[in-house]
Amino acid sequence: MTAVHTTDAAVPTNSSAPRRAARGGAPRRRGSRFDRSLPYLLLAPALIGILWLIGWPVLSLLVTSFRRLNLRELTRGEVVWRGLDNYTEILGNPDFWSITVRTVVFTVVVVGVSVLAGLLIALLMRQISPVVRIVLQVAMLLAWAMPLLAATTVYQWIFDQQYGILNKTLVGLGFDSFAGFSWFTTGTSTLAVVGLLIVWQAIPFLAFSLYAGAIGIPRDQYEAASIDGASAWQTFRSVTWPELRPLLLMVTFLSMLWDFKVFAQIWAVKKGGPDGGSTTLPVYQYLEGISKSHFGVAAAVSVVMMVLLGLLTFQYLRRLLRQEGTL
Amino acid sequence: MNGKKVTGNVVAIVIALFFAFPTYWMVSSALKPTKDLLSTSYDLIPFSVTGANFATAWTKPGFLGSLGNSLFVTLTAVVAAIVVGMLAALAMSRMRFRGRKGFLMLMLVAQMAPFEALLIPMFLMMRDLDLLDKLPSLALIYFAVTLPFCAWTLRGFVNGIPYELEEAAMVDGCGRWGAFRRVTLPLLGPGLVATSVFAFVTAWNEFLFGLSLIKDQSKETLPVWLSGFQSNFGTDWGGAMAASALFTLPVLVFFLIVQRKMVTGVTAGAVKG
Repeated sequence: MTAVHTTDAAVPTNSSAPRRAARGGAPRRRGSRFDRSLPYLLLAPALIGILWLIGWPVLSLLVTSFRRLNLRELTRGEVVWRGLDNYTEILGNPDFWSITVRTVVFTVVVVGVSVLAGLLIALLMRQISPVVRIVLQVAMLLAWAMPLLAATTVYQWIFDQQYGILNKTLVGLGFDSFAGFSWFTTGTSTLAVVGLLIVWQAIPFLAFSLYAGAIGIPRDQYEAASIDGASAWQTFRSVTWPELRPLLLMVTFLSMLWDFKVFAQIWAVKKGGPDGGSTTLPVYQYLEGISKSHFGVAAAVSVVMMVLLGLLTFQYLRRLLRQEGTL
Repeated sequence: MNGKKVTGNVVAIVIALFFAFPTYWMVSSALKPTKDLLSTSYDLIPFSVTGANFATAWTKPGFLGSLGNSLFVTLTAVVAAIVVGMLAALAMSRMRFRGRKGFLMLMLVAQMAPFEALLIPMFLMMRDLDLLDKLPSLALIYFAVTLPFCAWTLRGFVNGIPYELEEAAMVDGCGRWGAFRRVTLPLLGPGLVATSVFAFVTAWNEFLFGLSLIKDQSKETLPVWLSGFQSNFGTDWGGAMAASALFTLPVLVFFLIVQRKMVTGVTAGAVKG
């Protein structure tokens, strides 16, 4: 802050004004041509980058979704229009529907569990000793910082059939049936492990931001509640909840955005298997598009993904845009 | 300390153990000799410690190469995104011009765009540009992925620096550029560091495009290389854990550097690293 004061102090003396005039350079008059074009010059690289690398692919995605584009057409450079056939093909495929339902259910469960746990941990952090709080925060930081693929590898090792520490522990606790139990033989249990992994890495961010929100709630509101003789639950409902609601809404929508498109962990664990049992929409998109080179169909899958994601996050986006509109 | 607080502390410790355990298990497994790892005895605490697994991981074909590839791609993308993003942030925060609002909206929407859904057009585009199997294509994509976030977050940080300071410096005889370099840039330092860390982590973690655009094994990024550890390592869990630990280390160091800025940075930018 010292910098602020020295700068301010220097203003009234204005000792350098003659030097500036002596330099003979253009006095920075507002509205010179350079000044007027400066913002556009500054924005140009970002604008070009976004239009080229995001805007164009979005258009190209829509166009591709109406084409038949397999390896054959791609190598020959043929343009074959299929109209809505790609869409009718995927929408008429029962596998596609079960994958879609699985993806939505998976997202909702993972988001629900992680937001709820994040909220509870955030509230718990206010109640505990400072030392314990630091221990908890460091532990959460460790989980948050671990790269996705490192975390996935570690979970695969923990859940390993033969030598995994989890099965060893369960057997040690007397659950003998877990000796040699494989966690990755059904899609549901595979997704359960992946879900746990995602929740484990998602909670720290949620807990930290909700904690930051919770400590921002004015203390006198709690004092007022305690004078009124409110119970812990009543205090939560009438003080904490209304104050945290906007933040809670925001992190919930963000979590949906992130968890809906999870690919790395699912792919690394079982490649969507066994028997497609842990395939979600992003995995399906990869399998159709990159593995099978059915680019048109995969593009249609991506469009459906975007629409679904749009539906899930529409409210949030609208709020955000409205908020920014006032800036 | 009352009973309620004691209970709270105990619960918090249990939760802390839940979060810390995988990291502990990664490190302790990396330090254990293979014969201990592949035993059925219960081994929560390592009895014999070895550096062999780290040596294995380090010398494993592909590890150093993919580490280098990841560093190249990530750093190129982050530097580009930070520079371009900062220019845009300055315009958005400091200047009033026609179309400003539209640009703000564009940045916000671009930030929310589900990149994973753009896999197919990105793939086709990189193919047309003859950029498949080339690392610059990944750098380009990671630049695009992180740019809106960087611009938006940096805008928040620039907003936090009073413009009067720059004006004062200009009154003092600095040019516009001089005022920026001497006043705003130093104050923006922490924001630049925090934003770079988020961008770094995003690119460092990216898997789908790394997997899809690169088929040549010598050009794999670290996440892709590590995802094939079972074929790379067989059942060498010690080596896999050592590689994971080495993969985690830079991110952990960065996180510790910016931990205070983290939540504000992410919630302001509204995108996770």
